[in-house]
Amino acid sequence: MSESRPVTETDLHAYADGFLDAAGRERVEAHLARHPDAARQVADWQAQNDGLRDAFAPYAAARPSDLQLVAGRRANGKPAMPRFAVAAAAALVFLLGGLAGHFGPMLFEKPPTVTAMDALPHEARNAYLIYASEVRHPVEVFADQEAHLARWLGKRLAIDDLKVPDLTTIGFKLVGGRLLPVTDRPGALFMYEDETGRRVTVLVARNEENRTTSFRFAAANGVETFYWIDGDLGYAVTGDISRERLQQIAEECYRQFPT
Amino acid sequence: MSQSPDPHGTEAGSGREGAPSPPFSFDAEILALLPQLRRYSRSLTRSDAESEDLLQDCVEKALSHRRQWRGANIRAWAYRIMTNLHLNARRAVARRPSVGIEEAENLVESAPPSDPLARNQLVQALNTLPKEARAVLMLVAVEGHTYQEVAEILDVPIGTVMSRLSRARQLLREKLAAENVIHLRSPR
Repeated sequence: MSESRPVTETDLHAYADGFLDAAGRERVEAHLARHPDAARQVADWQAQNDGLRDAFAPYAAARPSDLQLVAGRRANGKPAMPRFAVAAAAALVFLLGGLAGHFGPMLFEKPPTVTAMDALPHEARNAYLIYASEVRHPVEVFADQEAHLARWLGKRLAIDDLKVPDLTTIGFKLVGGRLLPVTDRPGALFMYEDETGRRVTVLVARNEENRTTSFRFAAANGVETFYWIDGDLGYAVTGDISRERLQQIAEECYRQFPT
Repeated sequence: MSQSPDPHGTEAGSGREGAPSPPFSFDAEILALLPQLRRYSRSLTRSDAESEDLLQDCVEKALSHRRQWRGANIRAWAYRIMTNLHLNARRAVARRPSVGIEEAENLVESAPPSDPLARNQLVQALNTLPKEARAVLMLVAVEGHTYQEVAEILDVPIGTVMSRLSRARQLLREKLAAENVIHLRSPR
């Protein structure tokens, strides 16, 4: 490889930091082969990088107090976030559990009071991950028995007149549904599929607290969930699709579910 | 990340009045960033205590300035807040003692066991760098930002980023080459 232009100090830094493409690396390596001082310098920089990363890597860990730091109070008793209730903090725990799985155990050492509904996005995500990837048995009852599906799940969740949302107007066809436990109570999972085979799930669960929330959003590893609580029921729409599309689905479900 | 949508307006039925509730995802994003912010904070400062102070100040500022966040890269925004807090606290920190003997030992013990002596030497050398140069080196080497990102975080031209990076590396090199002993207490 001929040296098309002189190697600058910026090139050397970029080489040490791994920011160059193959051609750039080749150009710099040719230069370093002819300039031993520069080669030693770059090697030292790389050793510094390694040493620094090693030295500070152990600090990149979540701590049980993190939640308090964001949602709770400072040690001096001054409320950092007075408008945030414990319940919101608890929901954050679950959110983070998904966002950073390996930090989860640390956070759960001192769990705040967790209600069934705070677990909703977490449960919805798990259900999506387990069932949406099933090719042959994604659901227990398929869409061809939709009326039966609605009656059956309605009965198990004690919802009169449970309607299976119709998402065909936004391009998602019902695959079917299944019964599943959501924090120890029966929950209903509906699965939909678009023409390219991408799936979204709609989870309906009992909420014991009888409160109502706005739409909320949780994301972890590309899987996104919109959820909301409407009286004694909680809903979560989960999928690996664009947030705009998912929100559209969530709004459509909200419109169709009886309030 | 975009703001959390709220198609129903404010929280229906929750009885909350006044300002709309803040976007829920904002707090989750900050929470998820805490581990790397903690690492960055520790890499800028000389002790665990100083580091936790900086982290707390950063989180508090991020939360109280959430309205200023324009929905762009929240990670760069958080790094920017922390860097500014740290650089602006110049005088207060200059008076502080550097790593004490017990902390220095703890540092060695808490780090992975590859070469604790060399690492301690490196960290000591780091404490002699000008803050601006140190911040650039940490953002690049430890936090993995590109030079362009660092320029945006620090709000300086990229040429300044490169000269600070160069300075930090050169100073570290000289320091490490000169040192044959480990200073558990740095000289100043």
